[in-house]
Amino acid sequence: MQPIRTRLAIAVVVFGALLLGALAFAPLVGSTPISLARVFDRSVPFADNLDAQIFFIARLPRVVAAALIGASLAAAGAVFQALLRNPLATPDTLGVSSGAALGAMLAITFHLDFSVSGLPTIPLASFAGSLCALGVVYALATGRRRGLSTTVLLLAGVTMTGFLSALTLFIQYLADFTATFRTVRWLMGSLDIGSYGPILTVLPMLIVAFGMFATLPRPLDLISLGADAAAARGVNVARAERSALISASLATGAAVSIGGPISFIGLVVPHLVRLFVGSDHRLVLPSSALFGAVFLIVCDLVARTAFAPIELPVGIITAVIGGPFFLWLLTRASR
Amino acid sequence: MLRAADVSFTYRRATGRARTGAMESAMTQAPGGRERHDDVLKHVFLEVDRGDLVGILGPNGSGKTTLLKLLGGVFPPASGSVTLDGRPLAGWSRREIARRIAFVPQETSTPFDFTVLDIVLMGRFPHLGTFALEGPEDLAIARRALEATGTAAFEGRAFSTLSGGEKQRVVVASALAQSPELLLLDEPTASLDIGHQIEVQTLLRRLNADGGVTMVLSTHDLNLAAALCRRLVLLKDGHVLATGRTEDVLTPDTVRELYHVNAEVAWHPRAGHLTVVPIGRS
Amino acid sequence: MKTMQARLAALPVIALVLLAAANQAAPPRRIVSLIPAVTEMLFAIGDGQRLVGVTSYDHFPPEVSRIARVGGLLDPDVERILALRPDLVIVYNTQVELKQRLDRAGIGYYSYEHRALPDITATLRAIGARIGSADRANAAAAGMERAFAAIRSNLSGTAHPRTMLVFERDPSSLRNIYASGGYGFLHDMLEAAGGRNVFDDLKQQSVEVTTEIALARQPDVIIELWYGDSVSALDLPRRRLAWNALGSVPAVRNHRVYELVGDEFVVPGPRVVDATRRLARTLHPEKYR
Repeated sequence: MQPIRTRLAIAVVVFGALLLGALAFAPLVGSTPISLARVFDRSVPFADNLDAQIFFIARLPRVVAAALIGASLAAAGAVFQALLRNPLATPDTLGVSSGAALGAMLAITFHLDFSVSGLPTIPLASFAGSLCALGVVYALATGRRRGLSTTVLLLAGVTMTGFLSALTLFIQYLADFTATFRTVRWLMGSLDIGSYGPILTVLPMLIVAFGMFATLPRPLDLISLGADAAAARGVNVARAERSALISASLATGAAVSIGGPISFIGLVVPHLVRLFVGSDHRLVLPSSALFGAVFLIVCDLVARTAFAPIELPVGIITAVIGGPFFLWLLTRASR
Repeated sequence: MLRAADVSFTYRRATGRARTGAMESAMTQAPGGRERHDDVLKHVFLEVDRGDLVGILGPNGSGKTTLLKLLGGVFPPASGSVTLDGRPLAGWSRREIARRIAFVPQETSTPFDFTVLDIVLMGRFPHLGTFALEGPEDLAIARRALEATGTAAFEGRAFSTLSGGEKQRVVVASALAQSPELLLLDEPTASLDIGHQIEVQTLLRRLNADGGVTMVLSTHDLNLAAALCRRLVLLKDGHVLATGRTEDVLTPDTVRELYHVNAEVAWHPRAGHLTVVPIGRS
Repeated sequence: MKTMQARLAALPVIALVLLAAANQAAPPRRIVSLIPAVTEMLFAIGDGQRLVGVTSYDHFPPEVSRIARVGGLLDPDVERILALRPDLVIVYNTQVELKQRLDRAGIGYYSYEHRALPDITATLRAIGARIGSADRANAAAAGMERAFAAIRSNLSGTAHPRTMLVFERDPSSLRNIYASGGYGFLHDMLEAAGGRNVFDDLKQQSVEVTTEIALARQPDVIIELWYGDSVSALDLPRRRLAWNALGSVPAVRNHRVYELVGDEFVVPGPRVVDATRRLARTLHPEKYR
């Protein structure tokens, strides 16, 4: 086995190249044929250059959103799997997604849908919902013991998910027809954001989350062998676990606020990546982020071209790929 | 080298006051100090010299693991102090301690598919920290540790595919990779069958004798203690019952007091150490 | 002698048959309508007073406020419907369970389907025949057809701008936009009002308009329809502003984005004439000075 420095360099270069390729290629493909030459043809004013309009307004923001959301959910998934000591954990396990869904739903149902200085409120409400869910789960899990009790965390998270989902259904039931319709569409996930507004709204949170992610890989490795053993080696277990919970939840909440809940990325991508780079989180975390971005860019590409001009919700594509993969994982694990 | 002085610990409330006292004692009671019934450890004194192989022997629930963790600085005592070369552990950073003392837990399992080398390299963490990556020197130290524990052949294998004994040896290698002066082992053979027990026992004896690694291990297994340890600390209900050289301290009387069992303690010429044979309940 | 006796014996039988036939032919007097469009049709025919039950979505004409409510399309309150003892219930063709229950209760129903503009007058005539007011219904239908013809002839010779007719979107952003496809009564209204549907090649009632589709189709005019209680005239300028995010669309560039409020746009009943006239006035203001 090569030293970690080499393996990390290779992983970053390979996955990074894939991402650059996806970022360059995806905006050029879609239901309307456009040409790269036309897009960057300066002689045609923007207002008359349909190719450029489609590239820069319709496609580029959504490709950027796909990259950010894919990276966030994949990295958060890897972190949650380490935090909960469970390879089947996902960003949805602890109720953060359900909180985000509830926040968005409340905003839609009560017609709180307006813009605050150019930033749309539904993503803000959605993110606020995810923070509330996180707050409750965190308070419960850090209650009595020193540090974080992962058992309580898991129980609290699963309970929150169930409770928030029931609440969401209840509000949907009470809401008028159009609000219900809008929330159902939101819950299917959509990356057609048309501008960078929703991204900018949550960008600070993403930056904070990824900053925290950078400190986690080695401590998570050690903690996965046992909290006491890790503490004996000098890991501040309580701080690392808190940091993992907060950063992964921030990243998930932000991602869900932009494009709605998109499932399976947080579960599938870390496992796919581990097949190539092994289990060392110093490799798994950055690789998951990079490959998660690629994965969602590709899924979005399929979603908007497979049945053109009809666009499928991207969550359907990730589920179609992710579902069978998840089942395969389970059969592999049970052997 | 490592000294625990009047150490008490409870998982709920703090109690008692720090006191220095005699090295060997029966049930100590510090005059003026208060004992609470939920104390896991009460006024324990322990001293470990360089090169020692000390066993903490007692029945389940006597506080062995807790004492071991206190010795490793995993958490601080409620009262009393643990000092390393004269300096209280409380004054050291966790990583400083980990560079000198390594802790081997009873069982190690992980939900992830780490290789043996991955596991052993994690032992370099106290020297590297969160962000530094292992270099060729760290890799060499890890490989030497694998050699020392006879597990070099498993380097690329998945940890989860190893047998119990092999896993324990790898975990010891991981602890050795910390380049420690002192190894703390919690029930190192408790979950192993006799073949693997002998494996680990032999390894530990060799590391101590040839490698000069100081060791403190906790066990409830009388024969392991008899076979391996030169000095024993007998722990009952959080109190030190007796401490001293194995042959002085491991007697039918102390065995009866610890385990309520009648036993014969005799020197076995072929094995080269004491053996304890239980006769019946007392 | 025998024939005389036979004829006398036949009398009660004949009388019974005639009585039954008379009952069959009696027009329904207690009508429950689950379709707002048909409610309006009944009032247009002049038989609104025969309604004993309407849905919670019925708002026109003002007289409906006095009529009992029995739920809506997705959740009709079957018990309340039965309690009103109707002799005719107007249901959607898709309300299969409701139809079964009405069958079991022995209550007749008229099965309505929502399609294109010509179906509106056809339904008006069919309902009229069913309730025994065929003459008045036919007159009303003919009136609607004349009104449409007038609108069309007024606009003959004008250029029909490429128009996107949006009937649903998120109020403050350009997400979840749904526009009329090349089929259905919205499409027919638009064409009658002198507009060319940008989606007339897609033979479906609704099209989900993504950013890319909106840009690619390059509509010259965008008309947005709003309805329901939550929209006031004050909201409209702000809602139009959402389109500034796509400033390169010709309709936005040339300030030809219009916001219209009113439920006559979404109720395919007699008021489609008014709705079409409003669309025509929006598209061709110069023809309506």
